[in-house]
Amino acid sequence: MKDLKHLAFFEKLLLEANNELIRKAQQGGRICIAYTCENTPEPLLNLAGTFSARLRAPRTGSMEIATYYLTSFLCEYSRALLERAIEGGFNFADAIITPDGCSMMNRCVENMELLSALGKGKDKFFYEYMEIPMKADDNGLALYTVQCRNHILKPLAENYGIDISEEAIRAAVAEHNHLCELIRAIGDFRKEENPRITGYEFHLITLATYAAPKDLLIPLLEETLEQLRTREPDEKSPFRARVLVAGSEIDDIDFIKLVEESGAYVCADRFCCGSFPGRDPIVLTDDEDALTQICRQYMYRGQCPRYMDSSKMDLRRIYVADLAKEYGADGIIYEQMKFCDPWAYEKMLGSHILREEYDYPVLAVDRPYNIGTSAGQMRTRVQAFVESIEIKKIQKGGANG
Amino acid sequence: MAKKVGADRFGDFYIDGGKVRKRREWRGFSDTMYDYSRWLKIMMTLGKFVMKPRNVKAMLRYRWMANYLAVPMMVDRHTQGLRGEYLRICHEEQDLIIDDVAKLLDNLFRGDRRIGNDEEFSKKVVLVDENEMTTVMMGFPNLKCLSRETPSTYVSVLLNQHAAEYYIDVAQEFGLAGDVCPMPEAEAGVSIDDDAPVLGACALQCNTTCDGSLLGNGVISRRLEKEDGIPVFQLAAPLRHREDDVQDYAAQEIKNAIAFVEEHTGEKWDWKHYFECARRVNFATQCRQEWLEMNRTPYPQVFGSNLALYTETNYMAICGKIPEFETADRRITALARKAYEKKKMAAKEYRHRAIIWGVQSHYYMDFLVWLLNCWGIVPLTDMLSMVSTRVLKEEDTPENRETAYYDMAWLTENMIMRNRTHGGYKVLLDELWEFVEMFNADMVILWEHISCKALDGMHGMFEEKAREKGIPLIWVQHDLFDPRIISRQGVRDQVNTYMRTVMNEEPIDPSLEVLHDEQSW
Repeated sequence: MKDLKHLAFFEKLLLEANNELIRKAQQGGRICIAYTCENTPEPLLNLAGTFSARLRAPRTGSMEIATYYLTSFLCEYSRALLERAIEGGFNFADAIITPDGCSMMNRCVENMELLSALGKGKDKFFYEYMEIPMKADDNGLALYTVQCRNHILKPLAENYGIDISEEAIRAAVAEHNHLCELIRAIGDFRKEENPRITGYEFHLITLATYAAPKDLLIPLLEETLEQLRTREPDEKSPFRARVLVAGSEIDDIDFIKLVEESGAYVCADRFCCGSFPGRDPIVLTDDEDALTQICRQYMYRGQCPRYMDSSKMDLRRIYVADLAKEYGADGIIYEQMKFCDPWAYEKMLGSHILREEYDYPVLAVDRPYNIGTSAGQMRTRVQAFVESIEIKKIQKGGANG
Repeated sequence: MAKKVGADRFGDFYIDGGKVRKRREWRGFSDTMYDYSRWLKIMMTLGKFVMKPRNVKAMLRYRWMANYLAVPMMVDRHTQGLRGEYLRICHEEQDLIIDDVAKLLDNLFRGDRRIGNDEEFSKKVVLVDENEMTTVMMGFPNLKCLSRETPSTYVSVLLNQHAAEYYIDVAQEFGLAGDVCPMPEAEAGVSIDDDAPVLGACALQCNTTCDGSLLGNGVISRRLEKEDGIPVFQLAAPLRHREDDVQDYAAQEIKNAIAFVEEHTGEKWDWKHYFECARRVNFATQCRQEWLEMNRTPYPQVFGSNLALYTETNYMAICGKIPEFETADRRITALARKAYEKKKMAAKEYRHRAIIWGVQSHYYMDFLVWLLNCWGIVPLTDMLSMVSTRVLKEEDTPENRETAYYDMAWLTENMIMRNRTHGGYKVLLDELWEFVEMFNADMVILWEHISCKALDGMHGMFEEKAREKGIPLIWVQHDLFDPRIISRQGVRDQVNTYMRTVMNEEPIDPSLEVLHDEQSW
């Protein structure tokens, strides 16, 4: 296939936490709000005058200092972020807002605060921690709304004078939705039998929308979508199976690349920093305030395993099964970052349920934050999984006619 | 054989590779007879328990029941070296807990569809987590609130250090990562292995201490709801429990939980009973505060693993529902006052005054007894005992009824351990140093449960603060339920090494320094 015009730009963009577009937005006087968890409603961080950047630590190498503070038992994402913060790599942020999504991320940000690792030279810098619901119900919605008001909107208004009015929030949602629609349209090409976009390319594009100011990306996404409409796929697909990847946070651009190099086309992405459900548009009506509607949609669509009510747990697996069906997946890869407690349990249950109740071949793997450190092992496992899917296809064909 | 405190070499009681010790301790005539009479009482409790055919059937059905053979040994482990009031305080605490667990087991098997199958009884049972405040049951006098995980995993590991290993392996064979906390892992293993009694009108789960515990509940609720047909309510207590803006949510969760129980059991919330329980909770708090006050002086009386275990049971599982605990609180307080007046000591020498922080090793709960006897380190108080001291409303008025929901929510949020592992670093890190000062401690023993991410995440900060304040801090790593990762001797060695190399001290009882108790219960 012909290269996507902006692919090299996206790749370059994702090599740095403090990337070119962040610098550009800040030069224009905008405030960068760092965050670390998908349960932080993004439109509230992207009001006029602000933009969000989900913290990543690309090209992570040694994490020794962070390992001293957090021990080797905390997930590498939390350690990589702390290491990068101590190195001064997140000093571009003007504030950080983090929910108690998981204990590890909470401790990571608390250590940043205790070590004064962020906000050097920024008088108005603030840390905000927020409670977010663990159940999707009316009580949870009331909590979510109060927390977003007290720990996102209020501090933004008080510290930086940001307009947090209903109109401002609705404008942010409109921009967010435009971006989501572009991502969704680009992602829909993955449904094709011989897709004109690889999972890797799509992952890069999606990831960029978390790591850089959205408005600056929109023209690039529009152009990419136009290019894709006429892009011709290779005559013969290099892939031997189609897989859905579900699991914990992936901001390492090499993971999806490795899966695809091993013969499995990643046709759907159900993980943090992926497009499902993170790039679902937020539908607003006029009969209720925007904040409540945003919170409701984040809460009900959220697929984070920290949601503990039975209906949400069941829906998580149904969601994966539905996506696999819609995108024509032959198999599912459940991944968890090593030492991630929530996904350790969800991976265990999800992999059994998808295999036994939905009849999908499932590969369950744990992985480091940076796949480069154990690429060989992961490649072998994915290759074996692809072969097993092929064998199953052959056997089904033989046995069932 | 010695009557005098600390005259024995306790290491000589151990048999290399044995499950039990060589012999019982001679404590002088009066104390030995008292101890023996309590031993007989425990045997009678166990005897009464096995008299019932359904309980024998349960012993054959449930693998974890074999651990209950080690009950007398567990008490002996905790009474090592104790005399006079200390011995009596320990028995008051331990024996009541044993009695309570025996009743819990008996009730579980009575309703268990596989064993007693008493359907009418089962309809009055509400299952609760092991790690869950039972405040929402304080107004249901006609219902039984039973925890299956308490006897199958929690108490089992207290009795036999190897009790959870099988269930940990079951969970890992099912695909669970090996780095999660082994406690919810073992509980999930019991559920995967279908080795828990099946009974109850409904179940209440709670987002208890940690992410692992919360997610482990998902494994259990799946079997309860989908296979056993038992509806489950997940009570989500806020994590940032010190914040004002979460309390309305927390109170509403309590209301929802109560409504759920009412719906599935047909029972109505009884305010009179609730306020009676609240009064008992307040009394327990008052007693605990008095004990802790004594522990600030040179003559602490109620301390160590007994304090931790008793507080955990009384504060969390009992919540004022069982009057016998009020009686025990009175007796313990009277004994403590008596001993305090006489300036009694539990060991022959107190060298260091320590705050015990972090999550204790379940497979080595009597470590604090060892710490005192071997190195003269007095465990003044521990993290699990530093729980809420809020006084609950006791009088039944319309206004107090509304406040009561907030009181119940507060207690639920401030459940043992979770009140420190959640809620931000201040409650875990900063308050430790406040307690060090308050208790005139000169040392911190910091249990590092290696799979506890919330605690691990403050590792570096604990060290930096200890250095800053000049307080010796001894890390004691363990894996909570799994002695295969760090053995009991591995736990002891961490203290031995620190005391010899950093503190440059010799043990008070060198026979305890190295013990071959790998196979011991």
